[in-house]
Amino acid sequence: MAVATLAGCGASGHSLLNSEVRKLNPSLLTPFPFTFSLDPLGLFFLILICTVSLPVALFSVSYVKRHYSAARQKWLWALLFLFVTSMAGVVAASSGFAFLVCWEIMSLASAGLILIEGSSGDRRHNLFIYLLMTHAATAAVIAAFLVFLPHSHSLDFAAIRAAGATLPPGVRIALFLLAFAGFGTKAGIIPLHLWLPRAHPIAPSPVSALMSGVMLKIAVYGFVRFAFDFLVGGPAWFGYLVLVAGAVSGLLGVLYAIAEHDLKRLLAYHSVENIGIIYLGLGASLVFMAHGARVWAALALAGALLHTLNHALFKSLLFLGTGAIADSTHTVDLEKLGGLQRRMPVTGAVFLIGCCSIIGLPLFNGFISEWMIFRSFLGGSTLTNSIAQTLLPLIVGVLALIGGLAAACFVKVFGVAFLGRPRSQEAEHASEAPLAMRAGMMLLAAGCMVIGIWPGAFLRPIVSLAQSLVGAPAAPPETLLIARVIPWVAAAFLALLAVVSVLKRAKRQTPTWACGLPGLTSRMQYTSTSFSKPIRFVFGRVYKADRKLEVLPEDQPYFPASISYHSVRTTSYERFLYRPFVDGVVAAANQLRRLQTGNIQVYLLYIVMTLVSLLLYLRLAG
Amino acid sequence: MTIALGVLQVVLLVIGAPLLRGIVGRLKAVLQRRRGAPIWRPYADIWKLLHKEDLVPPSASGIFGLAPLLLLVTSILATAFVPLLANSALLGSTGDFILLVYLLAFGRFFLALGGMDGGSAFGGMGASREALVSSLAEVPLVLGLVAVAIQASNASVVGMTEWALERNFFNISAVHLLAFLALGIVALAETGRMPVDNPATHLELTMIHEGMVLEYSGPNLALIEWAGAIKLSFMAGLLIALFAPWGMATTFSPAALGLAAVAMLAKTFALAVALAVIESGIAKLRMYAVPDFLGVAAAFGTLAVIFTALMKR
Repeated sequence: MAVATLAGCGASGHSLLNSEVRKLNPSLLTPFPFTFSLDPLGLFFLILICTVSLPVALFSVSYVKRHYSAARQKWLWALLFLFVTSMAGVVAASSGFAFLVCWEIMSLASAGLILIEGSSGDRRHNLFIYLLMTHAATAAVIAAFLVFLPHSHSLDFAAIRAAGATLPPGVRIALFLLAFAGFGTKAGIIPLHLWLPRAHPIAPSPVSALMSGVMLKIAVYGFVRFAFDFLVGGPAWFGYLVLVAGAVSGLLGVLYAIAEHDLKRLLAYHSVENIGIIYLGLGASLVFMAHGARVWAALALAGALLHTLNHALFKSLLFLGTGAIADSTHTVDLEKLGGLQRRMPVTGAVFLIGCCSIIGLPLFNGFISEWMIFRSFLGGSTLTNSIAQTLLPLIVGVLALIGGLAAACFVKVFGVAFLGRPRSQEAEHASEAPLAMRAGMMLLAAGCMVIGIWPGAFLRPIVSLAQSLVGAPAAPPETLLIARVIPWVAAAFLALLAVVSVLKRAKRQTPTWACGLPGLTSRMQYTSTSFSKPIRFVFGRVYKADRKLEVLPEDQPYFPASISYHSVRTTSYERFLYRPFVDGVVAAANQLRRLQTGNIQVYLLYIVMTLVSLLLYLRLAG
Repeated sequence: MTIALGVLQVVLLVIGAPLLRGIVGRLKAVLQRRRGAPIWRPYADIWKLLHKEDLVPPSASGIFGLAPLLLLVTSILATAFVPLLANSALLGSTGDFILLVYLLAFGRFFLALGGMDGGSAFGGMGASREALVSSLAEVPLVLGLVAVAIQASNASVVGMTEWALERNFFNISAVHLLAFLALGIVALAETGRMPVDNPATHLELTMIHEGMVLEYSGPNLALIEWAGAIKLSFMAGLLIALFAPWGMATTFSPAALGLAAVAMLAKTFALAVALAVIESGIAKLRMYAVPDFLGVAAAFGTLAVIFTALMKR
């Protein structure tokens, strides 16, 4: 698999540079057009898939052997290969039919991979929610293609693209909303994210890496394909809708992430946050397109696309790092970790690179794309429309808050998991991950560093891709600026670091200060929960924690015999959004049951009525 | 010539930083009718600490020693954005304010990690509180800079200074006033000053920055102290450059540069007096009142950005 992805990577990289279209047409096999071809947008995502799959496959070589029986290993490899291939199929498809077939294989293969780990009741429940929501998303996408059909007369992408320019406004709105909801569910924007923090934690770590790092990006691909390639933008409110979705997902995603102490769930919520940032870029691009500022639109879209690639790199790196932690300590609960940096130095170093990248520190890749999105929002002030002029620069504040909170969250993650003293026996006896796992993670970390320090090489193709999608006459000048200044900053950084290091002296180990008292234990350290307490307090309204404090006996509140406290955080989405919806569906189904009497005469009546009404329809319509 | 001037400015900000701290301390002492330490005291402190050995907790990893280095390096890099004597800086025209804001975040991130590495409750407590304050301070910082950048139609610090230089004091807009208020509050929070944090306390109920660096000693502590001083002088330099840059040299002649240096020193001294008055006159806010304080700053920043759109019609 590793070799296959490497080959794919090389081939697609070659084609992207030459912008050469390759076609494969097995449509003779089916009555529907089942065609594949690669255009620059598809190629970009194909490169993304291959770049992430290769290190993940390398990591899995050793991870899978250590965790699963021989029979399960075979299943895992087969499904993993199917999963990656189907994702490649989605981005390479050039007809709606091929797209949907690959899309469905992708969803089912990922569900199968989740089952590798076992199928207890709880897992089945979470998996069911995943399957349900992913199929709701698929239904919306199928509906979107079907809405196109009367206008394009074919599911071939070329025909759809041609029809896209001349759609009536109502159809255009319906199409956009269907694509937004369908791909938004798969990408995990709030409030359609419900499956994401459930499905990612129960998958094996390499699979979580692929699901979060790559599969979510396929949804982004679908949305870009529809909104930019087929519909070529639309009225400004399309953009504002995407902006609101992005801002809400970004902000709530990071706030939920801070409150988590299960590392995988935390990272899953950070995927919601980063998808939010990507959607902010896409939304800005749509707004700019609606107002005719195509160069700014290109900057925003290029930022969003680069962030898609960057997130694929660092998020899969972080999930693999989590896998290495789980491999060594058998837990991903932050409250049981600690002190891993001394025990797993390489994993710690690459994990730290992932952390620096995800919070967008300069010299790491996340910065470049967030910078581009930042700058494009600043460009909103050049528009003449007063709403856009006021709103777009203000969103920079939202982005800044997301960035600040993400930094707080990753101080917590790295500080609690890797620094300080171990909080459990397992963490105490942790050991470094095996070579293949380290190598996989190091490849991804190297990717993060290279894009972060030398962005020029990567910006050129991505900017020209964005330019062609939005029809911008020139490349945004800002991208040249960042490409020029970052290597200098990196050089100055290293030089200064070398100079300042001279000031360091010999060190001596002494006990940690314990206020003069003996017996400092690891339980006295700040935990993940206590670290996030101030932020949870300040943003208390977001969490709506259900606290229960029981003091026994009740008549002696100040001298209790026992106190028990627990707090449960249920998200309001289930309670206020999904529960009424599900109740409504069940109620409607109950009403429909009245049709099913079980009486054969009634069914015959239905048939006669259908026949008569069809004949009437034909008579009247003909 | 510009490069030489840029290097000179960085050196001035980096080497002069402890002096500014000493002056602020002395001014506070005067206001509180104490004798106070000499203004050169911060240099002596750093010199003393640099010659001690580093004491490292047993649980600490490499991050513990790396954090002060990275903090100092990013602080020095940040000073390269600030025009001081003339309107040019090493990174002032090519690097924009977003890069600047994230460079500051870089050092802060690693210092918070260093605090967590000691394995005591204090480090985690300081890091946790610092995480709250700095993530909330990010919003007014960025919004204030966005407003000024929109006014100047330029996102680089030099570009923004250029815009202000072309106007006189009475010609400057409401946007600048609002942005100045936002950035002024952020400057207090970022440098760990009253009413957000008290640099002179070691009481666990109140400390933020000091809690984070409690395990540090010797050269490590010297680097952190120095970086803190640089951050203060950097903030002062940035506020002056953005909101009151008048008096900067327009030519590279010695007379013009000398005049600019005098003007710069006078303005910095005025800021030091303002800081001393604020610190002596205001009590530290309760931890959970700090978000409200920063919220006020964010409101100023938001208004500033909205006003930029209003001013255009």
